[in-house]
Amino acid sequence: MNLIEVYIYEVTRRLPNKNREDIGLELKSTIEDMLPEKYSEDEVKKVLVELGNPAVLASEYNERPMHLIGPKYYDLYMSLLKMIVPIAVVIAFISVVAKYLVGFEGGDTVLNMGLMILGEGIWSILNVFMQVFFWLTLTFAILERTDHNEDKYPRTMSLQKWTPDDLKNISYIPQNRAVSKGYVFGSLLWTAIWGTIYFNADHLAGVYEGTGEGLEFILPALNQEVLNSFWPLIVIVIGLEIVFALTLFIKNQWTKKIAFFNVIREVIAVIVLIFLITNSNLLNPEFLAYMSNILNIAADQIRNFIIGLTLILFPIFSIYNSVEGYRKANR
Amino acid sequence: MSNLLDSLSTELRRGTLTLAVLSQLQTQQYGYSLVQLLEKSGITIEQSTLYPLLRRLEKQELVESVWDTTEARPRKYYILTDYGAEVYEKLKEEWLKNSKELYKLLEGDD
Repeated sequence: MNLIEVYIYEVTRRLPNKNREDIGLELKSTIEDMLPEKYSEDEVKKVLVELGNPAVLASEYNERPMHLIGPKYYDLYMSLLKMIVPIAVVIAFISVVAKYLVGFEGGDTVLNMGLMILGEGIWSILNVFMQVFFWLTLTFAILERTDHNEDKYPRTMSLQKWTPDDLKNISYIPQNRAVSKGYVFGSLLWTAIWGTIYFNADHLAGVYEGTGEGLEFILPALNQEVLNSFWPLIVIVIGLEIVFALTLFIKNQWTKKIAFFNVIREVIAVIVLIFLITNSNLLNPEFLAYMSNILNIAADQIRNFIIGLTLILFPIFSIYNSVEGYRKANR
Repeated sequence: MSNLLDSLSTELRRGTLTLAVLSQLQTQQYGYSLVQLLEKSGITIEQSTLYPLLRRLEKQELVESVWDTTEARPRKYYILTDYGAEVYEKLKEEWLKNSKELYKLLEGDD
């Protein structure tokens, strides 16, 4: 085997077609220049060591980078990745939950549904992450190879060289007012869970009885028709919660405006809840009878107890939440 | 420490390579003769750097090349273009100025 030929082949196969022959010939004559008239394989090897790894030599000829994303674009790439991935992941998870919420069919238990949402949610989060990662990386790898600008300045968000004016576009957020991603995600998850249960209360919320094959749903606690008749208000409450969570996510910090939005949201939710809980048909009479049987208390008393507890607990919770919002904004 | 020193001095040298190569191309040279010329003046250059560098200079129109096939072994000769000569003069001035300044800095101006 002729080492010189193979070496030249190893270099030229990495080069564009039009340069191959010329560079190959030049390399060959150079290598022969470096060798004595009659040479051994060891001498050839010594010369080839001087020329080095054919891949490196080829890349020098090519002037094509030997990296996917270089220092010019790396920071921009990472910033975009950190910005896009959480958004894409949250949207993916919400759409999975929404799919189950809309397409829910009777006969399933909460546990089963939770598991299905979790399973498919994780799968779709992974999927979206891979997609974002792949396409963003591909875009930057292409950018790196098509940018023939000679300067090496790392690029900023505007794709230009950095100037002090770029500092004006940075939202400086003190650590203690920052919103954690977990908080945003948690509140979206909470909205999805109660929304699902609300619109499927006739086979999710109620009395379960243990049978040989696990828990069996035997009696709904609430009247689904009453729940459904409130749908426009509930959609507004859900909508407000989602918009609120996304606003927090985008602004990334608590402000007075956001705290005020939070109060409005809580007030509307509490008003809707009061109308709902005081509706005389909301609680299923069979459920009340069942409970009264077990607890040995009159059905009316149970009903009053449930309504009273709700009317006390939820406003307290809402007030706490509203105050907390202002507290965070004022830190 | 010697590793670090190596990489620092390689870095120092890298910027001067173009100048060194241009200076030797006022007469025509082929790749290996250029290596020998440079080595004789005590300048070591990685061959894997030199040959691609020559091509780059040609693409920038600082040098031009011609294949000589009259001898037994065909060789590619490189020589400065007019434009290359002009650039070389300016680069040389720049280097001399820089090195004088650096010298003053290193030796202290006394």
